[in-house]
Amino acid sequence: MAPRARRTQLSFDAKPLMAKRSLILGVFLVIWSLIIVSQLYNLQVIQYVSLLKRADRQQQRTVEIAPRRGTIYDRNMHPLAMSLAVDSVYAVPSEITDPGMVAELLSPILGLDPKDLEGRFKTYRTFCWVKRKITSDQTARVRALDLKGIYFQKETKRFYPDGDLAAQVLGYVGMDDSGLGGVEYELNKQIKGQPGKVLLSTDARRQSFRATEWQGQPGENVVLTLDEDIQYIAEKTLAATVEKFHAAGGTVIVQNPNNGEILAMANQPTFDPNHYEKFPAIDRMNRAIGWIYEPGSTFKSVTVSSALNDGLAKPTELIDCQMGSIRLGGRIIHDVRDILPYERKGPLTLAQVLMYSSDVGAVKVALSLGEDRFYHHIREFGFGSKTGISLPGEEEGLLMPPRDWSGVSIGEFAIGQGVGVTPLQMVDLYSSIANGGVLIKPRIVKEVFRGQDRDVTPTSLDRRVVSDETAAEMREMLAGVVEHGTGIPAQLNGYSAGGKTGTAQKVDATGHYSHSKYVASFIGIAPIEKPAITVLVVIDTPVGAIYGTQVAAPAFKSIAEQTLRYLNVPQDNPSRSLQLISRNLAKSPQSKERDAEENLPVDAERNGVATRPIEPVSFSEWPTAVSKGTVLLDDGPMQTVPDFTGLSARRVSEECQSLGLGMDMSGSGLAVAQDPAAGTRVRAGSSVEVRFAR
Amino acid sequence: MRKGLNFRDFDWLLFGIALAIAGMGIVEIYSTTAQTPLASQFQKQVYWIILGCILTLVMSQIDYRLILEHVPWLYLGSVGLLAAILFVGPRVAGTHRWLQIGGFTLQVSELVKLVIILGVAALFAERRNNAVTWGELLKLGLLAGVPGLLVALEPDLGTALTYVPIVAVGAFLAGVERRQIVTLGIAGALILPIGWHFLRPYQRARLEAFIHPKQDVQGSSYQVTQTKIAIGSGGLWGRGLGNGTQSQLGFIPVSHADAIFAAFAEERGFVGTLFVFLLYLALLLRLLDAAQTTADRAGCFVLVGFATVLFFQVAVNVGMMIGWFPITGIPLPLMSEGGSSVLFIFVGLGFAMSVKMQRFVNF
Repeated sequence: MAPRARRTQLSFDAKPLMAKRSLILGVFLVIWSLIIVSQLYNLQVIQYVSLLKRADRQQQRTVEIAPRRGTIYDRNMHPLAMSLAVDSVYAVPSEITDPGMVAELLSPILGLDPKDLEGRFKTYRTFCWVKRKITSDQTARVRALDLKGIYFQKETKRFYPDGDLAAQVLGYVGMDDSGLGGVEYELNKQIKGQPGKVLLSTDARRQSFRATEWQGQPGENVVLTLDEDIQYIAEKTLAATVEKFHAAGGTVIVQNPNNGEILAMANQPTFDPNHYEKFPAIDRMNRAIGWIYEPGSTFKSVTVSSALNDGLAKPTELIDCQMGSIRLGGRIIHDVRDILPYERKGPLTLAQVLMYSSDVGAVKVALSLGEDRFYHHIREFGFGSKTGISLPGEEEGLLMPPRDWSGVSIGEFAIGQGVGVTPLQMVDLYSSIANGGVLIKPRIVKEVFRGQDRDVTPTSLDRRVVSDETAAEMREMLAGVVEHGTGIPAQLNGYSAGGKTGTAQKVDATGHYSHSKYVASFIGIAPIEKPAITVLVVIDTPVGAIYGTQVAAPAFKSIAEQTLRYLNVPQDNPSRSLQLISRNLAKSPQSKERDAEENLPVDAERNGVATRPIEPVSFSEWPTAVSKGTVLLDDGPMQTVPDFTGLSARRVSEECQSLGLGMDMSGSGLAVAQDPAAGTRVRAGSSVEVRFAR
Repeated sequence: MRKGLNFRDFDWLLFGIALAIAGMGIVEIYSTTAQTPLASQFQKQVYWIILGCILTLVMSQIDYRLILEHVPWLYLGSVGLLAAILFVGPRVAGTHRWLQIGGFTLQVSELVKLVIILGVAALFAERRNNAVTWGELLKLGLLAGVPGLLVALEPDLGTALTYVPIVAVGAFLAGVERRQIVTLGIAGALILPIGWHFLRPYQRARLEAFIHPKQDVQGSSYQVTQTKIAIGSGGLWGRGLGNGTQSQLGFIPVSHADAIFAAFAEERGFVGTLFVFLLYLALLLRLLDAAQTTADRAGCFVLVGFATVLFFQVAVNVGMMIGWFPITGIPLPLMSEGGSSVLFIFVGLGFAMSVKMQRFVNF
């Protein structure tokens, strides 16, 4: 025991230092722990979110499962746009052992560049598309290769069975299944549906560990107000008209004026949404809603109906047209020519002002309204604001408030100049006259549904813009236009019709009214007593003939006749159905009989319908390149007529336009003859006759 | 003298804390290996801990001073064994670390830590003043240096490094002067570049990755990046047992062994790591507290030496996980899977108990 006791005592001397130093160790230990704990706090609490994100990023791969896009139908449930299941090929490059070989094998089948593909395999680690939306044949061939690291993903491809039919309304769908235009874009949320998701956990070796799946929701189906057949009628007629007049484009709208439903909305130029990427953006534009143009005389209906509604004029009231010219704000507005069957440019009734499209008469009517009231009415009819149709890219037009008007503005606006409108706004205007004075929001979407769950687009707020009587008077006067005035080419077989022509100069690049570029239009309603349709035809820059009467009215006639018959609207104008019946004689005996019973003119005279044959005005006598009643034109400098031989109609018209020459053209193809001959000096504004042949 | 087992002064609290930490380790090992071929690993760990507990109880009954008297033999035996393992031992995964006894493998270098602790205690047990001679410092250096070199050549630099703090703190406690510390520091700084020369390529890579962590994220510093992400993504409450995606999906290598702290932090969150840190702190402070009241100098050296190794391993291991130290193979005491490490700690605890229980005997 002794040695131990000695050790204990000896160590006692050393104790204070050892105790002190072990205490220092203890303190060091506590401080160190605090530092580490604070760093743990920093990582686990302060940096928690960012580190969690990093963890998720490397551990998880989300694969979206595209929902099936809804189908778009016309009003009769004919599909206009549908989605088909197709395969897409993708690669997980980290699983590919020989990228060069895999690229060599795949590229000929899929039509890819092997170098480019190999490069992609080397750039990406976990995922890259090889090619999306391939054909079933390609799928089979790639599948047969059975390559490691190459996978398939089911996707859907949008298919438009009717090709370019209603292309601008339907729109198109991009690679990622998102609508990029038209209804596809506007209702993308509903049509697209909710994508499903698969969350793949991947381990450190990039192998899928487990998958969690969320079911998506398929897209909703859309029923449009469009009628496939009427759309077809409208597009065919429009395309023929645009081609005939070598026009830059055009648009046709057919609307049911009683509920605002758009039955057809056609555009030229057009595109095929199945291959939208091959067409320029301008072809994809929906002119019916996105094109601002000066309406010209078709706008006189606003002027006249406003005055009627406010009791400032009656259809029979005489208006002094001042020998066809009126001075306003330092400018002279004058009527075009000898349009008037009576005393030249003497007093006209209000109905005749519209019938013969007298600019001076319209200006005087507008002056009687005054700026503020006129402006108020223009706004009431919806100009200067969007109609709110469910389509993207709608314009509100250009409409200055009265405080910005110059002295001549009221006169210009009265005849549809200086005001920018969209075709759809003009259709709304005529539909409100057709339905008794109520402006109805145009509708393109009838309903949206998924399964039994239907969501019918409600009829929106409509507002009365003119009285019922005013609308009735306007219809009568518009009927007069077609019956006796500028609208004669719009007369329908079997149906009464009313409407208004319009011819407006386009503003050229220099900001002045062009001498050769016009917008020709006709807007009509039929049958006149209880209109079933409103039809607008607007042709952009027709060549050869420029007037609405010549260019747009015949197209209206064609569309309206076919549409009314298609819709089984009873004929109300048997006197004009003779031709129809005789044509129908060639049909089956039953149809002949039925037509005969329904349409035979039972003593037309007694019904008070004019039966005298209508002598159409000889349009060819009209000057072709003179501005139709607008601000003063100067005489223009002398120009040398160029040689047009071998040029296309479009090139010829462009040349003429740049020189300020009018042109009179015949035939189609390339220019073969011209008068005056090349090199002749002529005054700007005179016209050149050009013959084309193929 | 006493007869039979006497647990009157057995430190049940200390023992309980150690078992609590070991328990959490077992659960974490189970969690990280349940979905892998190593699923039975946690059972092995349980057996090792049971064996460890028995050894603790046995050692607590043995007077540590009896063992101190045989330290030279223990030391020579250790060095001999290490040399034998290095030169004639089996090669496992490119290293010579393991001694095979029947079905078990033993990492002798772990147990050598105890021998060095006892060696330091024995060296200073007879001293009466508070100064350390240069001769003693040389002895300390050899005490840790010879086995350390053998272990480093295995190669197992991590374990070899744990020998250093034992002798360093031993010298500190014995009364090393500031002048001596400075001299040794300068000498060390001069030797360091030579040491670099002897490092293996992978060890150099780890060091470089530690110095420039941003330069190769997928390379050597990949591990540090991954452990930090794991710890951080645990958040306050953790992802829950078995849900630690970083460890479960293999982003953290050896998440049941050296990197167990990262897995634990991911699944238990800051609350869990704080709790385990408090347990470690309690364990270490209790050892240091006991060192204040030992019967003799040797006991004090044993307790402080033991606490030092544990603390060093905790600090370095956790420091590696949060990117403060380069990656070296140093297990987290009590939690990391590994029989040798468990045995070292529980035998060490047995010594500590022995020291505590002997303290009143002599008065």
